[in-house]
Formats: sequence, C-alpha cells, structure tokens
Amino acid sequence: MTSPNGQSLGDPAETAPPQPADGLRSDVQRGRAPRHHWVVRLTHWVNVIALGLMITSGLRIFNAYPAFARRGETFCCYPFAGKSIPASLTFGGWLAGARNWHFAAMWLLFANGLIYIGFIYLHGEWRDLVPRRGDPRDMWEMVRFYLFARRDHPHQGKHNALQKVTYFSMPILGTLAVLTGIGIWKPVQFAPLTNALGGYVWARYWHFLIMVALVLLSVVHVVMVFAVDPYSLRAIITGGYNEGKPPEARNARPFFWRRAPAAPPRDAEGGLGS
Amino acid sequence: MNRRRFFTLGSGSVLATALGACDSFGPKSAKSLLRFAERKNEQLERWLFSNGSRNGFGKGARLSGRAFPRYFVSETIPMWNEAQRGTWRLEVGGAVRSPLSLTLDDLMKMRSVSQRVDHFCVEGWTARAEWTGVRVSELARAAGVTSDAQYVDFQSFDSDYHESWDIDSALHPQTLVAYGMDRAMLGPGHGAPARVHSPVKLGYKNTKYLTRVLFMPTRAGGYWSDRGYEWYGGV
Repeated sequence: MTSPNGQSLGDPAETAPPQPADGLRSDVQRGRAPRHHWVVRLTHWVNVIALGLMITSGLRIFNAYPAFARRGETFCCYPFAGKSIPASLTFGGWLAGARNWHFAAMWLLFANGLIYIGFIYLHGEWRDLVPRRGDPRDMWEMVRFYLFARRDHPHQGKHNALQKVTYFSMPILGTLAVLTGIGIWKPVQFAPLTNALGGYVWARYWHFLIMVALVLLSVVHVVMVFAVDPYSLRAIITGGYNEGKPPEARNARPFFWRRAPAAPPRDAEGGLGS
Repeated sequence: MNRRRFFTLGSGSVLATALGACDSFGPKSAKSLLRFAERKNEQLERWLFSNGSRNGFGKGARLSGRAFPRYFVSETIPMWNEAQRGTWRLEVGGAVRSPLSLTLDDLMKMRSVSQRVDHFCVEGWTARAEWTGVRVSELARAAGVTSDAQYVDFQSFDSDYHESWDIDSALHPQTLVAYGMDRAMLGPGHGAPARVHSPVKLGYKNTKYLTRVLFMPTRAGGYWSDRGYEWYGGV
C-alpha cells in the first residue's frame, strides 16, 4: 500500500527484517505458524466439554450406588464405600438424566478422541509427546528445579518432561476409560472384555480410578498453566505464543516466574549471517 | 465494545440461554439431542446383540442370598390374593396362534432350566442367584408366536408395573420366566409367584409379579422407561 506521495506506509513485506539464511529456524520459532494446530486447539476445548460432561454425569451415576462390592460380598479396595459425591460436582439431576447424558456425551468424547489421536499421528505432533530415553532423568530434573534444588530450568523442547508424560498419558487414559466403560455397558454382549478386566465389579472400579487419574492430571494441568506459563493459554486458544517468554527463558517455577529479559532488537536477529 | 467485552457478554448470554430452561435432565434444549442419542444407541445395541452371548459364573462362586435386594413399586409387598382374584395364572397372548393361560403348576410342568447368572441393576450394583424357570422362547414356541411379534410386554400385578422388550432379547436362551430362586420357590420380595429374569437386560426391565406375556407388533414402553430410563436397557 502506498500513500499519495508514493511513500511506503509500512507494508510488512518491505519492513520485515531479513530472515536467517541458515534455514534452521522453524516457522514456529519465527512466530509464523501457530504453536498449536487448529485441530489440536479445537479438540482440546471439545475435550474439556466432553470430559466435563462424562465426569460429572458419571459421578451422578456413581452416587446411585457409591460402592463397588457385589451384593452380599465385600470389596477390598475402596475405603469410601457408601459416601456420596457432593451433588454440586455432579450433572444430570438424577440417575436416569445422568445416564442419558453419559451415553450421549460418550460419542462426543469418542469421536473427539479419535480425531485428536488420528491427527497427531498423521500430522507428526506425537513426536512432541512420545517418551524418550532421557525423559525419566529430565522429569527428575524438573522436579528438582521446581523444588529449588536446581538453579536453572532444564533445557526442553516444546514441552518439559513432566508435561510430556502428562499429555502422552491423557489419550491413553481416555482410551482405557472408553474400554472399561464398554466393559460396564455391555458385560454380557462383550463378556470377554469384561472378564479380561476382572469382571463387572473390577471393570467398574478401573473405570472409576481412570476418572480419578484424569481429574488429577487435569487439575494439575490447569494450575500449572496459571502458575508457570499463562502465555500458553493464548496458545491453546488462538495459537499465538510469545516465543520470547517460554518458561525456560523465564526460569519459571510454579508461582515464581518473571518476565524474560527483553528480546534483542529484531535487526540483531539476522546478525549471524550478515 | 472491545473484543474482551464482546466475548464476555457473548459467552454469558449463550450460557444463560442454555441454562435458562433446566429440568432434571439439564437444559431442556438438550432433550431432543439426548433422545436422538438414545435412539441411535438402541440401534447400535440391537445390532450388537447376540443370541449366543452368555453370562454366568462357576459353581464355587458365592450367591448373594439374603443380601439380594427386594424391590417393588407398590406401597407394600404385592401378594396375589387368591380369595379375591382366584388362582394366579400367567397369560401368554397377543401375536400368537394359541394363547396360553398357565397356573403355576402348569408352568412348573414345562421344560425348565436353572442358571446361575448376574443381576445387573441400573444403579450399578450386581447380585448373584440361581434362577429356575421356563425360557420365554419356550413359552413363545408353546403358544405359537407369529411373525407379527416384534416386541413383548411383560405385565404384572405390582400396581401398573410393566416393561416391554425387543423380541430378540426376550427370546435369548437366558431370559426366563422364573419361579425358583436359589433352589427354593420365589419369595414375595422377589416377585412371587413368577417373574422375568435375564442377564441381558438391566434389573428394571425384568418385570416381577408377572401376570401376562404379551407378544406385540409394536413396543409398549414401560414403568421406568416412561419415566426417563432407557427403553432398551440392554446389558
């Protein structure tokens, strides 16, 4: 675009700094590509709704019989038998309502999970999540860093080692939730599946424990977003991310983080090659 | 209006609309969606259903015995009053060539089976018992059920309790009209003199205090299915 006198009004193509010639920097690092693909962002938020509906309606279903033992028997491994989940954490109103929601929202969870897993498999995002040999050590270093036993933030890729193991286990837990759910839904038609889970009583118990794990990981996830990297909130909504301020650059511990030092002037970026 | 304000007001009004009309099922606007999901689930479940599926457990397994819950919808335990209503009879009718009217003795003279199976309650608990009775498929054969029969309504003398089933589940070999439980005659808390029992349906589909088995071309709802629980209720 030009003004009447022919001067440039700041067309980005003309004022953009020269790109590094080495070509090593990815589109993400240059801030061109979103940090999360739109499919990942969409499935993330659909998953919030689907998991939220499944967990709250599931807890209402659980309240109809908040125990695991078969009638006339005892169950080894649930110390809170008979104690209901507070109604405020449940959804569906009553058993039939909650079941209606549970058996409708399960398709949302299932379809969304398939799209997400299929996408990250085909598009390559799984590489950011798949466990690698150094991960246990890196996880330990992250724990040490968070506990002030280590001074500098361990070096990381897109995610730190604790995030990686969390985000990698979420789809696995989701798959297990679906499988154990089918085992409870159809213990006669899919008797081999239910039997493989240890029978109906145990299938129901695994289904419950997987829910607890999903809730714990989600709660920690949300707390850490606000406590360590609030910039990632924008990344999961619009895809934009301030590449100058990742937790590593800010040496960010939960609730103890500072803004990264101001990025060097853009002109200096191409300095290596010029 | 800036962008942040737009999103705040926008999402607030959407949420208010969605929650504005709530009943025990949640937002009323979701009801048609839930009904749609239930219909689709039923199609899938009927497609998955196999006449060869079996439930059961070994001889060594513990039975629930006295811990097996008693359940009825009347205010007191329904008892068949012979003085008032004459001899109890099980009517087998509808889309059949020769309707049956069976006394308990007649029923007990028919070919019987005993099976140790789970009882799956919609609430999430299970209980175990040994059930003795006549297969519904045996009754259907004896009455000469016609091809019009696509559904079966199981009716009772427990107030207006009844539940209708798809014919495939009713004719499953583990679906019984049971008169014995744990090698004794069925007790009044469990549906005496006879009840439906099958592991392929949730407990509420298994009508107790049975009076009539009605083969029908259309479904007839049911006590709990008319009150919000899934009509299919398959296990």
